[in-house]
Amino acid sequence: METRLRILFLTSALALSGCSTLHGLRHRTDAPADSAPAAADTPSTADAAAGEDAPPRVVEPDVERRKVVVPHIRSQDIELGGYVGTLNIEDFGAHPVYGVQAGYHLTEDFFLQAEAGLSRAGRSSFETLSNISLLTSAERRYRYYDLSLGYNFLPGEVFLGSGRAMTTSFYLLAGVGSTDFGGDSKFTGNFGAGFKVLPLDWLAVHVAVEDRVFNSDLLGTNKLNSNLEAHLGLTVFF
Amino acid sequence: MLLALAPAARAATQHLQVFVTAPYLEMHTGPGRGYPVFHVVGRDGSVRVLKRYTDWFKVRAERGIEGWVPARDLELTVLADGSRFSYDTGDRNGFTEHRFEAGVFFYGDYGGASTISAYAAAFATRHLSGELAVGQFLGSAANGTTVDLGLAHVFYPEGRFSPFVTLGTGLVHIEPKVTLVQPANGTEQTAYVGGGVRFYLTRRFFVRGEFREHEIFTHRNVNEQVDEWKLGFAFFF
Repeated sequence: METRLRILFLTSALALSGCSTLHGLRHRTDAPADSAPAAADTPSTADAAAGEDAPPRVVEPDVERRKVVVPHIRSQDIELGGYVGTLNIEDFGAHPVYGVQAGYHLTEDFFLQAEAGLSRAGRSSFETLSNISLLTSAERRYRYYDLSLGYNFLPGEVFLGSGRAMTTSFYLLAGVGSTDFGGDSKFTGNFGAGFKVLPLDWLAVHVAVEDRVFNSDLLGTNKLNSNLEAHLGLTVFF
Repeated sequence: MLLALAPAARAATQHLQVFVTAPYLEMHTGPGRGYPVFHVVGRDGSVRVLKRYTDWFKVRAERGIEGWVPARDLELTVLADGSRFSYDTGDRNGFTEHRFEAGVFFYGDYGGASTISAYAAAFATRHLSGELAVGQFLGSAANGTTVDLGLAHVFYPEGRFSPFVTLGTGLVHIEPKVTLVQPANGTEQTAYVGGGVRFYLTRRFFVRGEFREHEIFTHRNVNEQVDEWKLGFAFFF
C-alpha cells in the first residue's frame, strides 16, 4: 500500500513538473515574437550569443567618464603701446617725437609691427642765417607711419640679483611707410634695431633706434634724407 | 576657511589641467628654443596651461612653479578625460579652408609709384572670398590713396601654391604734384581685374603676390589704366 502511494505521488509530481516545463517552453517560443522590437536594439545575435557565453557580471560598473570643459587659453600675440624719443629731422634739427606702436607676433622669431609717430621740425641753418622761412607752421609738422617685419635676433635673459630673471630680446626691424612733411608725403623706408626687456610676461620696455629714409627736394636738390630716431617705449601684450 | 579656499579653487578651474604621458615634460625659463630647461614634470604628473605666446605655452606645475613649454611637447599630454591635448596653431588644412585672412604688402608699384597696402578677406566657400584692400601710393608725379572691394576666386586651395583671380571696384583719391597738366585733387571710381598666387609658408602664414589692372573712370573723355604689382605677407584665422 505504502509502495503504491509512493508511486502515485512520484507520478503526479513528475506530471506536474512536465506540465510546468511545457508551459515554460511555450513561453519561450512566444518570447521572440514579443521581444522582436527589443531585439532590434541589441547589436547582433552573435553578440547576444557571446554575451551568453561570457561569465555573468557580478558588479555593474557605475563609473562615468569625466567630461572636461576645455577653457579658452589666453593668447598674447598682440602687443600695443607707445613711445617717446628724439627724432633728428635732416636739416631741421632734433626734436621730441611721440608715437604709438602695434605688433603681432607670428612666431618666436618673427613679428609684424606698425608704428605711427608725430614730431615737429625746427628751423634749418639756412632759415636761421637768412631769416627766411621755407616752411609754414603746418608744413613743419612731421608725421609718419610704417609697417615693418621684425626679427628677434638675440633672445636672452637679464638678472636682477639672484632671485629675479627677465626675458629680453635684441631685435631687428625693416619696413616701408610714409612720411608727411614739408607739404608732401614721401615713400619711406625704415630700418632699425631695438632691445626689449619684459619685467612681466605681459609688459615690455623697449629701447629702439630707427632710421627713416626718403627722397626729398625740399632744399632745392633731390637727395636722400636720413632721419634717425631713438625712443623709449612701453608695450602691453594681449 | 571655505571662503579662503574659494578663490583658489576658482582660479584652479579657470586653467586647463593636462597630464604628462611622455617620460617627462620640460619647462623652459622663457618662450624660446634657447631658454634653458629649469624644471621637469615626470610621467603622470600634471600642469595647468596658463596662456600662449606664439608656439609656446606658459604652464604652472605643482607647488606653483611656472615655465614655458613648446606646443609640440604639450601635444604629448592628455586631458583628464584621456583625450589628447591639441591646439590649432594652423596647418595646410587651415590654408585650404578658412574663414578669414589678412595681410600687408611690403612691396608695391602703382603705375610707377611706390605703394603700401593691406587687405582683409572673408571666405564664403574654400574657393570664393570677398576682399577689401586699402593702400597709399607715393610717387614723383602724384600721391594718393586707394580702396578696393571685390571678389577673389582661388583655383587650387589644396595646393601649397594656389593661384587666384580677382575682380572688383573701388575708389582712388589722387593728389597730383604737377598741377599744370593734371587736374587738382580728385576722387575717381575704379574697376579692376587681376590675378596672383598664394604660397603657403608655415602654421597660418603665407606669401601673396598679385597683379591688378585698374581702370580709372575719370571725368575727362578718356579713362586711364594703371597697373599695380604687389607682394606681401598674409595670415589666415
